[in-house]
Amino acid sequence: MSNPDQSRMKQDCANKKECMQMLQLILDGEATAEQKDHFLKHHLDECLPCFNNYHLEVAIRQMLKSKCTGDCAPQELVDSIKAKVIRNLAS
Amino acid sequence: MELEETAKQHYTDSERQQIFDNEFMPHINSMYNFAYRLTLDQDDSKDLVQDTYLKAYRFIDSFQQGTNAKAWLFRILKNSFINDYRKKSKEPSKVDYQEVESYYNSEEVDRQITPDLRVEALKDMIGDEISNALNSLDVDFRTVIILCDLEGFKYDEMAKILDIPIGTVRSRLHRARNLLKEKLSEYAKQMGYKTA
Repeated sequence: MSNPDQSRMKQDCANKKECMQMLQLILDGEATAEQKDHFLKHHLDECLPCFNNYHLEVAIRQMLKSKCTGDCAPQELVDSIKAKVIRNLAS
Repeated sequence: MELEETAKQHYTDSERQQIFDNEFMPHINSMYNFAYRLTLDQDDSKDLVQDTYLKAYRFIDSFQQGTNAKAWLFRILKNSFINDYRKKSKEPSKVDYQEVESYYNSEEVDRQITPDLRVEALKDMIGDEISNALNSLDVDFRTVIILCDLEGFKYDEMAKILDIPIGTVRSRLHRARNLLKEKLSEYAKQMGYKTA
């Protein structure tokens, strides 16, 4: 997917709902190779709403990953679980 | 408790210890994050994770080595949450889930929710906006976003973790993402971004 000339793209998408569902499938890694190929290589280059949606969806996923993951479990919790399991094994 | 109907294993103590250390414990950070985002309370999430790991240990013979330990653990955690924590959680009284789901599945809502959010506005949300938006969703919607977008589970794994059909996973995810975008658009508006 290149950086297409936005003024020459379709300003409205006739299949918005279906396209959004396809977009989700692709980004969730659930689409087939043909579906991906058609949507990413052909449709996105000519449809502005879908092009924008694609970038928004990607950005939301990146933000979710960077802002809502990465915290470590408290060490005391890890220690307590290990201690309880070891005690369990000993008994 | 098991994800698949599999024959019970008979592990020795050292095998148990090894499975626990090498297959279960590496997921502790994801499990803690999941528990925290479900309960929205630090003490509850610690208890929930601890309960889950002890249950996992107790039922370790139902776990088949080489299968997806993370999905197996997430399913136990989700079930513990529903059985033990959801009742006493501080969330306002729950609306009947079926009702919520059929409401959000109606065409009506699809028209109302137009994602008029822009990438630039999103990139300016450098504080807790994203996290708060996620936490503000009803727990069933929050859960599918956590499983899919934060933890990278596939639809079939999510279906097993949540005990729902794959079609429901998809539609629930779709609604959840619309609701999340709606919330994020509200924040964008508050930040002074004009929405289309």
